[in-house]
Amino acid sequence: MTLLGSFKTNMELASGATILPKHWMFTNYGEAWEKAKFSAYTWNSLFVSGASTVGTLLVASLAGYVVDRREFAGKRLFILMQASTMFISIGAVVLRPQFELMVKLHLNTSLWGVILILVSAHASTFFILLGFFKAIPRELDEAANLDGCSFLGIYGKIILPLLKPGLGVTALFAFRTGWNEYILPLVFTMNNPKLQTLTVGLTNLRYGNSAAMQTHLMLAGACLSMLPILIVYVFANKSFMQVTAGSVKG
Amino acid sequence: MIKWRTQLENYGLLLPSFFLTLVLGIYPVLWAIRYMFYDYKGYGKEIFIGFDNFVRLWSDDLFWNAVWNTGIYAGGKIIVTIPLSLVLAVLLNKGLKGRQIWRAIYFMPTVISSAVIAVVFYIIFNSYNGLLNQFLLKYHVISGSIDWLGPKYAMLTVIIVAIWGAIGNYMLLFLAGLQNIPGDLYESADIDGANSFQKFWKITVPMLGPVLQMIMMLAITVSLKGYESIMVLTEGGPVGRTEVMYLYVYKLLFPVSTGSVLIQEIGYGSAVGFATALIVGAVTGIYFFVSKRLNQIY
Repeated sequence: MTLLGSFKTNMELASGATILPKHWMFTNYGEAWEKAKFSAYTWNSLFVSGASTVGTLLVASLAGYVVDRREFAGKRLFILMQASTMFISIGAVVLRPQFELMVKLHLNTSLWGVILILVSAHASTFFILLGFFKAIPRELDEAANLDGCSFLGIYGKIILPLLKPGLGVTALFAFRTGWNEYILPLVFTMNNPKLQTLTVGLTNLRYGNSAAMQTHLMLAGACLSMLPILIVYVFANKSFMQVTAGSVKG
Repeated sequence: MIKWRTQLENYGLLLPSFFLTLVLGIYPVLWAIRYMFYDYKGYGKEIFIGFDNFVRLWSDDLFWNAVWNTGIYAGGKIIVTIPLSLVLAVLLNKGLKGRQIWRAIYFMPTVISSAVIAVVFYIIFNSYNGLLNQFLLKYHVISGSIDWLGPKYAMLTVIIVAIWGAIGNYMLLFLAGLQNIPGDLYESADIDGANSFQKFWKITVPMLGPVLQMIMMLAITVSLKGYESIMVLTEGGPVGRTEVMYLYVYKLLFPVSTGSVLIQEIGYGSAVGFATALIVGAVTGIYFFVSKRLNQIY
């Protein structure tokens, strides 16, 4: 319905409940792309979700590597800390301190603040990856170590390539989180409309300053914002389901 | 010497994770806990007022209205979503035609942002030129536009949207649980001449017990916490009819972005947030103990 609606004119949308559009208005997409600045929103969304995915994977896989392969003082404490960030969530309340912190660091004027906060919530990725680490035999590490490979070298040359399935699954997860995030970018772009992501830009059309609601543009925009994630979903159907079966959303 | 280097290496690699979690995960919580006891509006003086924020909370009608709404929202959502997704999962598990397609259809909502979903539903339910009203008018089901987002139906609309978004996810979890039920149980039931309804109540439901308990727990916490789609759909309005707890907290902390009439109240907002977290925690805890009891009786 959204897809069909996105090809209609605003008039047609407002007046009649036809199922197929009378004229296929492909220009809606062009208009949304240019006039409603969806090109900029898309770029921002891609930037946020891409950077936070890479960051999350890097941070979580390094931590998971050390925790799984090495013994050190405070290991239990570290795991406990990660677990606690997953379970202690007081929702909207922490947004304010996070925001104030970013203001102090002067990161509130770019999307890096959003990215950092998204990366900091890497506990679930950490625990999923920990499971995958356990599946990689330690003998490989030892063999490489005998050949003179350093700890970091083993990580880069042996562990990461073998971790690909795990990284793939968690990357999907992290990318989706970043792409769908609404509240964070909303808070951080209150004073910077240029930095709005797709989700924020789209919902702002709803309170558009023009008197008539531009339904056709909103629908085109909605399709644009769903498209990438649906394509990824189609291609990664299986692994997506595995991940979301264990995730918390509803 | 080597030992020392190894330890340094360990902590070096852990540092990014540790630092980020500490600064952006744990520090904000402590920050909020501190401001619960302050009168702080985001500018000017921070005045220590002890438990006054909680005293104020006690007689804050807006808050209790939000608590009430959250109860209706979560209750309505769960009562419909859980049985429906269970039935769907059982049907899909039986090998319905085009199973993959059905799976994809029900699963789709869970990969799309709830903000975007809310925008689409806003267009559908909008009272003046909403698609649903146009459709119903055209086929003469109704004679005048129904104000879906008005005071009377807003909560219903919000719940419908929430159900639409949640069913796929729970269905998937149920499917995973169904796959773990051994097939010979059904075979022996067949031999005993049980009909499919009996099989459902006597085998499927009891065997799904632990999964059901887990899913219910998930459903409770998630629906008590959710406010994103409500924020986009109705902003808690009209006249606070769909205001839920965390949306109220958000509005106290960031009043500018929602166009609300509240004044920024960081201290009070933190206190409300803390109270809300307590309520969510208490409800989940009570459910956990009650459902555990029930499991033991079985």
